[in-house]
Amino acid sequence: MRVLIVDDSSVMRKIVARGLRQAGFKITDILEAGDGQQGMDLLKTDTNFKLILSDWNMPIMDGLNFVKSVRSGPAAIKNIPIVMVTTEGGETKVGAAMEAGANGHIKKPFTPETLQVELERFLK
Amino acid sequence: MSGPDTTELMNKLLTGLRLAVTEMMTSMAMSEVVFAGQESAESFTLANEVVGLVRLDGQLHGMVGVSCSQALLREIVSRIVGLAPDELAMEDLLDGAAELANMVCGGMKTKAQIGSVNLSPPVSIVGQEFIAQWKTNRPTTVFTFQMDEGVLIVHASL
Repeated sequence: MRVLIVDDSSVMRKIVARGLRQAGFKITDILEAGDGQQGMDLLKTDTNFKLILSDWNMPIMDGLNFVKSVRSGPAAIKNIPIVMVTTEGGETKVGAAMEAGANGHIKKPFTPETLQVELERFLK
Repeated sequence: MSGPDTTELMNKLLTGLRLAVTEMMTSMAMSEVVFAGQESAESFTLANEVVGLVRLDGQLHGMVGVSCSQALLREIVSRIVGLAPDELAMEDLLDGAAELANMVCGGMKTKAQIGSVNLSPPVSIVGQEFIAQWKTNRPTTVFTFQMDEGVLIVHASL
């Protein structure tokens, strides 16, 4: 089972990766991208992901535009579940992300238990 | 900005901020943290090596900062990401200071149950030595937290 983490913070990518492992998911590979554009570039050649976790505020291509790009992308990637991992839990932003095609939302800070509950349906 | 609504909002955020720091350090950094005091300062000089800052706007405007020594930041980030302190690069420390402020503010908003305050992307400064003056229209609330490895200061000008 492979997961892609899209976040401009190297620390947050490490936190999410560690949280996923601590939550007990059987993940073989965790790939990382530093912004939405890097995520899209990676998805051009590697589409085998069970889940994408994406930040909202990122340079070059933010999380909302990343979700839109994936959803309007090739068949191999357009249905990969995307969960937003953000500090901003405002209803407007969450609503915009869900409307754009995101499948869920996790607020920072989070615990491995939160990840387990929120992501189990995607990583069964 | 003042009035009963603003005062209530401010108090909710300050209470949320204090709770968020304790919860984050305990649950994510697995560190013992003791609330060691609160003061209100008309002016505030920041003389720590590290600071992460987040601006607030919306129903209330202000800024929240988290500051500490570089050694304490290294220890906190190390515990959060699960790497040895000496394996962390400067990029990790800069991101760590930013994420610390980001997550503390996110926790503050969640605890305070307020959706009408927006958070800016975080700014981080990591240096050997710097002095920054904190100029605001209202007093700054300074929370001090004692950790095993040093003192963590959280300051809020709301």
